[in-house]
Order: sequence, then C-alpha cells, then structure tokens
Amino acid sequence: MNCMDALAKQIRESILRISHHSGHGHIPTCFSVVEMLCAVYKSIRHDPKNPGWKERDIFILSKGHAALGLYCTLAHFGYFPVEDVYAFGAFGSRFGCHADRFKVPGVELSTGSLGHGIGVALGMALGFKLSGSERRVYVMVGDGESNEGTVWESLMVAANRSLNNLTVLLDNNGSQSRCLPIDDPQAKLSAFGLDVVSVDGHNITAISRALEHSNSKPRAIIANTTKGAGCATLVRDMFAWHRRSPNAAELETLLGELNAAAV
Amino acid sequence: MRQQFRDTALRLAGMDDKLILLFGDISVYLFNDFSRQYPGRLLNIGICENTLISMAAGMSAAGFHPVVHTIAPFVTERSYEQVKLDLCYNRFGCTIVTCGSSFDYAWDGATHHCYTDLALMRMLPGMEVMQPGSKREFDILFSACYRNGNPTYIRIAADEHGLDLPVEFGRGVVVKETPGATVTVITAGPILKNVHTACSDLPVNVLYFPTIKPIDRDLLMRFADTKILVVHDAFGLFEAVNASCPAAAEYHGLPDDFCCHYGTLTDIRGLLGLDAAGIRQRAGAML
Repeated sequence: MNCMDALAKQIRESILRISHHSGHGHIPTCFSVVEMLCAVYKSIRHDPKNPGWKERDIFILSKGHAALGLYCTLAHFGYFPVEDVYAFGAFGSRFGCHADRFKVPGVELSTGSLGHGIGVALGMALGFKLSGSERRVYVMVGDGESNEGTVWESLMVAANRSLNNLTVLLDNNGSQSRCLPIDDPQAKLSAFGLDVVSVDGHNITAISRALEHSNSKPRAIIANTTKGAGCATLVRDMFAWHRRSPNAAELETLLGELNAAAV
Repeated sequence: MRQQFRDTALRLAGMDDKLILLFGDISVYLFNDFSRQYPGRLLNIGICENTLISMAAGMSAAGFHPVVHTIAPFVTERSYEQVKLDLCYNRFGCTIVTCGSSFDYAWDGATHHCYTDLALMRMLPGMEVMQPGSKREFDILFSACYRNGNPTYIRIAADEHGLDLPVEFGRGVVVKETPGATVTVITAGPILKNVHTACSDLPVNVLYFPTIKPIDRDLLMRFADTKILVVHDAFGLFEAVNASCPAAAEYHGLPDDFCCHYGTLTDIRGLLGLDAAGIRQRAGAML
C-alpha cells in the first residue's frame, strides 16, 4: 500500500478505537474496503444533510460484515457524529454489527446474509433505468461473498439487461484463499458480460477513475485489496483477527502501525 | 385462475404504470396480450428465483409495484431467505403470485408438490398470505393488496371451489351456520368444494378463510366455543387458527411424509382422505 490518504487513515483509526471500545468488529475486512468507500462517497451524488434526497445515487454494502467501516465512512462524510458509532453492537444502539437501513442515515439496505445486496441493487438499477432516471447504483461484494450462487445469478441478469447504471465493486482481498477462492475474477466477470477493470483497491484516485463509466455494459471493478491493510499485525494474522477486537495494549500497537503506514 | 391473473394484471396495468411483472420463465405465452399492450412491463428474468425476489425488492425501492410470478416451491422454499430479508426485513412491497402449489402438479411428483408455502410465508413478519379459491376471489384479493406497500403472497390454484362468496381482504366467510352446532369446520382455497359437499347435510358450521394472514380473528372467536376442525390440503391455515383461537383445533390434512405418488389432484386428495367422503367421515366423527 502506498501513502495512505488522510481521510482513509482517520476512518481506520475510528474503526480501531470503536472496535476496542465496543468489543465488536470485523477489522481486517473493514480495512480492505476503506479506500473504496472513500472513493465511492467522493464520487457519487449524495447529500449527507439530506440522506433521502430523491435524486441521490445508491451505494449498497452487500458484504454486510464491513458495516463498521461503512458507519465510520458515513460519519466522516457528515451523516452523523462519529462519537455516535461508539455504541456499536450495544443493546439499544442504532449501529448494529450489521446495518439496519431504518436506523442509520445513508444505509440503503439492511444487509448481513451474504449474496443479497447485489440482487437488490440490480432491481434498483433496473427500476431507475425503466423510469428514465439518471440515478446510478453501486454495490460492493466480497470475494468470499462471491462463493454464493446468487452473486452470479445477479451478474448474469445485469449483463442480460445491459444495466450500465450498475457498478459492482469486488473486494478481492483473498479471504477465501483457504477454501474456495475466486480465481481469475477478471476472466469470470468478463465472461458473465460485464465491463471489467482491475485496480489497486487502496488507491482512491484509481478507484475514482474506475467509477467513471459510460459504455453499454454494467461495470465491475476488481479492487485488489489486502485484508487488514494499514496494520501489519492484521495483515499477517488476518484469519485470527477476522472477528476480534483489540484490547488496550493491542490498540496501541495497531495505532502505532497505522501511523507508521500513513507516513 | 392463471388466466384471471392475466386479466387482472391487464386491467390494473392500464390504471397504474408502476405495476410491473417479473416472471421466472413461466406463463409468458399466456401473457402475450399483456406484453403487447404494455411493452417492457413484463420482464421474463429467467430461472433464478432468488434473484427474482431480490430484484423485486430493488424495484420496489425504485418506486414500482413489482409482481413476481413463478412455481410455488421454487420461490418459497428455495428463496425463503430472500423473501425474509430482502422483502420482509427491509420492508419492500412485492406481490408473489405462484402456481403449482399443494398437488396441482401431482403428476410431477414430490419435487413439484408444495404444501409448505402458506405456512412458511405466514411465519414471516409483515407478510400477507392469501389463498383464493376462485377467479373472482383472486381478482378481489390481488387488486386490494398489490400496491399496499407490504410483501404479499398469493397462490393461484388449478382448481376452483365453484361457490360465489362475499370475499374481501382480511375477512373470513361463514359458508354454513347451523344453529346449536358443536363442530365448526374451517378451510381455505379450492378444497372448500369438497368440504362444502362433505358437510352439506351434517349439523356443523363451515368457515372459509381466503386470507390466512392476517386471519379474521373476530370471526374465529364467534365460533370459539365449538370444536374446531381445520380441513386443508396444505400447512399454514391450521397454525393460523390455533394461534388465534383459544380452543385447540384438530387437523384433517397432510401426514408427516412426502407424497411419493403421481396422478391427478383428485387422485392425491382421495389418497389423503381429502375427498368429500374422507372429510365427511372425519367431521362426522367429531359430532
């Protein structure tokens, strides 16, 4: 990973501190998508002060276990104070470990079970197209999530319906390397009829460029990422850290690693 | 009843440009008139039931009133999680219209039998569940619900009960009331025909519930001091009655087993004691 964007670093720091405070979090998978989330919310039409704006574009986090990353990103883009997210996972909190669209401004779909968000995104994109709307739909799926057959059903239908207002961001972070990896996603997605680009998933500029799309096919962006990117400990032990939250000493270690990576 | 689905959709589409049909590669030929009259509003998506449901949720979010149509077991049993999460949990309105439920495809064997759909759909928060027993009832119930913003399940049947009843959404119907009767027979859907025949000269009450969720609790309570017998060629109604009625109901319907027979709907109903003679014997034993 090259020099980390200042906003991406802030979001990662929030993720670490909130995970430590709450005792919850899928930190490595959140860290693999931070730059994608930054690029998306810098690029799409949205208004944090008016989350229900009728002409907004839609972003759906289909890989719903990265919810903490989404919350921290929405907070840093002004949807709500980041302090609110410290109630993450607590009884009575509106910030669950998987997001509830009725509780969190900016969350367009309640996700969690894998392989659902992309199908709903497909329906939204089709609906906007049939309505003659210019609104666009962006959906982020994981490579692990892509073990689910529904992902591929949806991709087939998206291509069949020429939904060029749909962009699929594949977080290609190697999470399935120990069981069912999505080998050569470029070839697979191209064969399914999508317009595919492959980018460094930790380069906001490159991702933003890939989000600009204007041909007749739905776009797929293969974002090559690293689980836990930004903290050497998380990268090294990504499976051990899959669902862990850091204790006080570990938090200091991880923050130190994050600061070092951001230099 | 499937022709009525087409005719109802044709009628409503002319008044509502947000009505859109998502088909799982069935009934497309039957709906040729719809496709001609309303181009682009019948989308034959393919044989991908899970995606059909997820897409419908998205189209609802985009402002449409989607109607998903395919064969009952594949969209209820296979796609249960999509219905649960994408429609019910996310509260997106959609009407699911199925064919081939219970033993309508008797000859196709157990893979194509579907008697759990009503029970499964009934368990999902926010879901409305209907089993019309005639073309007219389908027209009334579909028209009442398809754009109310709720997820709705309606199964259409190959058979009809042949009675003309005052049906409306959420209400049960008293088909027969016998003064002083100690037994009330409750049913839903086309099998009312057999129930009606079976009970024609028995001193019982007969209630009919084309809406299984929300069940008409007020009507049930009127008969709560009688012995209740639910006669149904599916699961779901029995559970709905027991959940609402203080007295335990009895069930005359399906065994805890697959039906590994072929033939016709009539053959299977006869095998299961759901012909008029079987129903009469069961109801008579309660007197």
